[in-house]
Amino acid sequence: MSRARVTVRLTVNGRAYVREVEPRYLLADFLRHELGLTGTHIGCEHGVCGACTVLIDGKTGRSCLQFAAALDGASITTVEGIAGEGPLHPVQEAFHEAHALQCGYCTPGFLMTTIEFLAANPDPTRDQIRQALTNNMCRCTGYLNIIEAVEDAARRLRAQEGGA
Amino acid sequence: MKPAAFAYHRPASLEEALSLLAVHGAEARVLSGGQSLVPLMNMRILSPAVLIDINRCRELAYIRREGGMIACGALARQGEAEASGLVAATLPLLASALPHVGVRASRNFGTLCGSLAHADPLAELPSVAAALEARFVIASARGRREVGAEAFFVSALTNCIEPDEMLAEVRFPVAAAGARTAFLEVANRGHGFAVAGVAATLEVDAAGRCAGVRLAAMGAGDTTVRLAAAEALIEDEGLSAAAIAAAGEAARAAVEPTADVHASAEYRAGLIGVLVGRALRAMAAAGPR
Amino acid sequence: MREIEDFTLIGKTILRREDSYLLRGKAQFLDDLPEPRGLIHLAFVLSPHASAEILAIDTAAARALPGVIDVLTGEDLAADVPPYAPVIELAGYRGVARPVVARGRVRHVGEYVAVILAESPYAAQDALDLVGVEYEPLPAVATIADGLAPGAPVVHEALGDNVIFRTRFATEGFEARFAAGEVVLEEEFSLGRVTGVMIEPRGCMAWPDPIATGITLWTSTQIPHIVRTAIAEHLGMAEANLRVVTPAVGGGFGTKCHLYPDEILVVALARRYGRAVKWVQDRREDLLTNVHAREHVLRLRVAVGRDGVIAAADLDVRTNCGAYPNHPFSPTLEATAAVRMMPGPYRIRAYRYEAASVLTHTAPTGAYRGTGQPSAFLAIEGMMDRIGRRLGLDPAEVRRRNVVRPEDFPYVNVVGVRYDTGSYLPSLERGLEMIGYDAFRRAQPADRLVDGRYRGIGICNYTEVSGTGAPGWRVRGFARMPGFDSSRVVVEPDGRVAVYVSQADAGQGHFTTFAQIAADRLGVAWEDVTVIEGDTAKTPYGTGTFASRGSVVGGGSVIRGSAKVGEKIRRIAGYMLGCEPSRLALGGGRVFDRDDPGRGLTLREVAETAYSMNNLPLPQGEEHGLEATDYYDPPMVTMANGTHVVEVAVDPDDGRVEILRYAVVHDCGRVINPKIVAGQVHGATVQGIGEALMEEIVYDGGGQHLNASLLDYLIPTAMDAPDLALGHIETPSIDTVAGIKGAAEGGLTGAVPAIANAVGDALAGLGVSITRVPLRPSTIVGLIAAARAARAGAA
Repeated sequence: MSRARVTVRLTVNGRAYVREVEPRYLLADFLRHELGLTGTHIGCEHGVCGACTVLIDGKTGRSCLQFAAALDGASITTVEGIAGEGPLHPVQEAFHEAHALQCGYCTPGFLMTTIEFLAANPDPTRDQIRQALTNNMCRCTGYLNIIEAVEDAARRLRAQEGGA
Repeated sequence: MKPAAFAYHRPASLEEALSLLAVHGAEARVLSGGQSLVPLMNMRILSPAVLIDINRCRELAYIRREGGMIACGALARQGEAEASGLVAATLPLLASALPHVGVRASRNFGTLCGSLAHADPLAELPSVAAALEARFVIASARGRREVGAEAFFVSALTNCIEPDEMLAEVRFPVAAAGARTAFLEVANRGHGFAVAGVAATLEVDAAGRCAGVRLAAMGAGDTTVRLAAAEALIEDEGLSAAAIAAAGEAARAAVEPTADVHASAEYRAGLIGVLVGRALRAMAAAGPR
Repeated sequence: MREIEDFTLIGKTILRREDSYLLRGKAQFLDDLPEPRGLIHLAFVLSPHASAEILAIDTAAARALPGVIDVLTGEDLAADVPPYAPVIELAGYRGVARPVVARGRVRHVGEYVAVILAESPYAAQDALDLVGVEYEPLPAVATIADGLAPGAPVVHEALGDNVIFRTRFATEGFEARFAAGEVVLEEEFSLGRVTGVMIEPRGCMAWPDPIATGITLWTSTQIPHIVRTAIAEHLGMAEANLRVVTPAVGGGFGTKCHLYPDEILVVALARRYGRAVKWVQDRREDLLTNVHAREHVLRLRVAVGRDGVIAAADLDVRTNCGAYPNHPFSPTLEATAAVRMMPGPYRIRAYRYEAASVLTHTAPTGAYRGTGQPSAFLAIEGMMDRIGRRLGLDPAEVRRRNVVRPEDFPYVNVVGVRYDTGSYLPSLERGLEMIGYDAFRRAQPADRLVDGRYRGIGICNYTEVSGTGAPGWRVRGFARMPGFDSSRVVVEPDGRVAVYVSQADAGQGHFTTFAQIAADRLGVAWEDVTVIEGDTAKTPYGTGTFASRGSVVGGGSVIRGSAKVGEKIRRIAGYMLGCEPSRLALGGGRVFDRDDPGRGLTLREVAETAYSMNNLPLPQGEEHGLEATDYYDPPMVTMANGTHVVEVAVDPDDGRVEILRYAVVHDCGRVINPKIVAGQVHGATVQGIGEALMEEIVYDGGGQHLNASLLDYLIPTAMDAPDLALGHIETPSIDTVAGIKGAAEGGLTGAVPAIANAVGDALAGLGVSITRVPLRPSTIVGLIAAARAARAGAA
């Protein structure tokens, strides 16, 4: 069993980090415990629940199924990076106004999924939204307000796009 | 639930990867998308001493047409295939099956070859490969060999790859003009973890008669199963309602599914028969693409 | 309680303040808390056997691993941490204790056998693989039937058999009343074993105070005060030296309203090592060891008149309680909930029941959203449909003829539970109207087939026990269940308000709704109220957040506490203004003369006097400070209600059930925040859809757990969540403060029977009888095949 550490260079939320970690160190643990970005949550560690979903080079990925070392050079966006300290992102606003979160533990993953989904599908149907949301699990909301929020976020983003 | 430690190698080329495999062989695993491998490592069902990460072997990242075949390298992601115009135009069965594979986040990273090598009899891609008569290109420092689905899938979660080999490419024959396809599966919920499914292709001649049908079932047993008896029945008798019903029955009789927490063996067998019928009817009703 | 009418914020949708940090990833769940120096990480060796003797445990290799601090077995811990047991004072219950870490015997797969103490979670996991445990496997029982079989292996030898609890009840003259019924129907219903699957598994961290003897326990729980009392009592600590704090809690659903062995252990180890100790549960441990629920078998027999009116009901309930009693409820919870709630919204006046809880070599079962109610209503609502089919009556009409009618309130049911108010008949009629019931029945073909699928409608009228107070818990023997909750409402020197509540939020929105309530009552801006809860050092004592009690009891206490502090504001302001306090009203952040609103003071001005920040005196006999503490013990229960009506299509070939239309009418009395209530209804209903159609923890006959991952234990995804049409009825309670009733469980309670009945209605023509959930595709196809075979055999 090798305990050798390897160097990993990641850009997270626009900021460059260099760390030495064991190759087996999961991205989720790296973000949470090396970088202190605890907004990315761990729910199952086998890739099903989606709580740990982050954007890896712009695409949603399970941070519990990625070794940080293997992503050397990648660019990661976590929930902390969506709006930074500024005003909420339109997707976050839509989740707030639709009451699309209760305990909120799963929410960071849903935000990532929604951002990726709406970028590719700016005007989705409810069926498409339901299909897209299978990327994540929520046990509190029954999903209905999340579906509303995604519809609303789509409207907000289209308006923003149109206004820009 | 954390993976055990391993020695990590990140070769920059296939050749380098194969030479690492030649050295580490049985104690090594190849990491591509990791969507099947890493859950097993987190649960410590698998604890390989050596991980050979092929993600920097860029030469393996392709989906391209080579004559009558679509060649997909070991780094061709499922999501890339799903978005590929080439796949949509030439491999409609694969295109229609991909949305059922895992979820968006897993398809973004999971590779076609990785899912195939995982050899889960309840997964979609092995049945797609079986129905399309895909070819599996297995490479090692000793050379390359090519096998079909029947040789590739040995049993549940077991393929025919030797310890010093890896699946370097999967090759799908381009669908014939006018080919019709169907991919159907049933799960205990709306999406994910199907209990059984059927991948089907149909070719029709100019007169609209069946010129060839291929049917493969998932959840049918230890591996994906080609439903030869049902195929033969349709090829002999055409697409009449009676022939389709008989084909469904033949499919049901031919499979030997296992029971698990999700479904009984009997249900799975019956369901495969039902889905064969539905697939055949849908393809018969569809016009040429 | 006197009627309160002048609401300004209660009843309005206010968007949640907690969202702002949750949406930015700034909330602090247990594993998000900053880690103290020298933190010890725990991992547990879990039993792979359902029943076995532990012959030897070899910890040497694990201890030798770098990063491992210690490895402790049950023997090593015996002196520090004795077994623990709930305190139950109820006839028919025979308690046994649960070891924190097993000694000598293991009784279910997943039981803690040894604990690793390590410098990091990765090292702790590595050490798990190196602990060698030698077991002598013993015979095991997993099911109720096997546990009751003559000669069955006994889970706890001291008890002699596996029945840990049995209770019986019969109304006077029951036999005669039953015999008077013209038609007798009988059916056995059962529910698979399920569990909460909060997206955040549990976890806890104990942190010794370096300069005192105190310990702070951070734990992802719904019941901080109950946890503190139990652990302090168990470990012989002064209660004041243990502080229990809940971080943000990622869902509870009842699963987190129990005291678990690890919570005791982290405190004991923090004392022993003088270091902080943390344990974070993984998903496998969640599914193996957190309380499961249901696995009930209910045999219901009813005697009915030809008019469909139930003359008498006889219910036998058996529950699988697993290997140990859960703490604090014990196995009596589910059993007594099921038998006490079966009469539900119906006028059943002759009733007999027997309930038994059966020990098996499986994980302990306990509270989960709905407790015995989904089971009770699966039985009685299933029976309503059967009565209709037997007598040729429409199932909705059978319900109309049996339901407690508006003029019957307040109504005391046959086991003595008072139904304060309710809208049972209006709710039923509204639900039927929303789904277009009559039109559906008129159009429903005789064979129920539409486009190759069978269509059916299912109805569930439910009552929902909520806001249970001390009398409600006492009558069921729960000696460590306070029943009351409390608040301390403080107008701070700056005139803004702090509200300390005894509860613990797990996503219900308390930080918004309790602020809304206090602001409403004190006439201040909502933004000027801060809510603090989930901390035993800061809040007064109370029960916690479960069993649909948060808004009723916590909210009620905030109303009362605000009223008390409001009185003091008026007294001081009256003195300052030189007028009678009774002339003064609160509003707009001021206290003012009702008849001369220009004459008044800001709350800050009053607070400055109260806190001696000016030269003004207090009225004679008035103490400094501007706060009030309230302990609110509500009545036995307040009864919410509602109706689910659902239309399904069942594919006979693949067995899939598709929900086509779904109407929910719910009545939780006075609503505090409509959007939050709707969220509770949505979430609970979809959990009910999961329980009805897909979820089940499966053990094999030998007690092996077969699906301890989310690949194998399926919960609903967005594709399983149909659009819900919601109908709101607001019938305030006459017993609780402001008429509030609970809202959290009815969605689940209504969904399970409604879906089962819809499938039953769809398949009735085939001779299929739906008696068990979950109704997976393979189950449905199997039932249809069996019914066809039976008919072919009979023909």
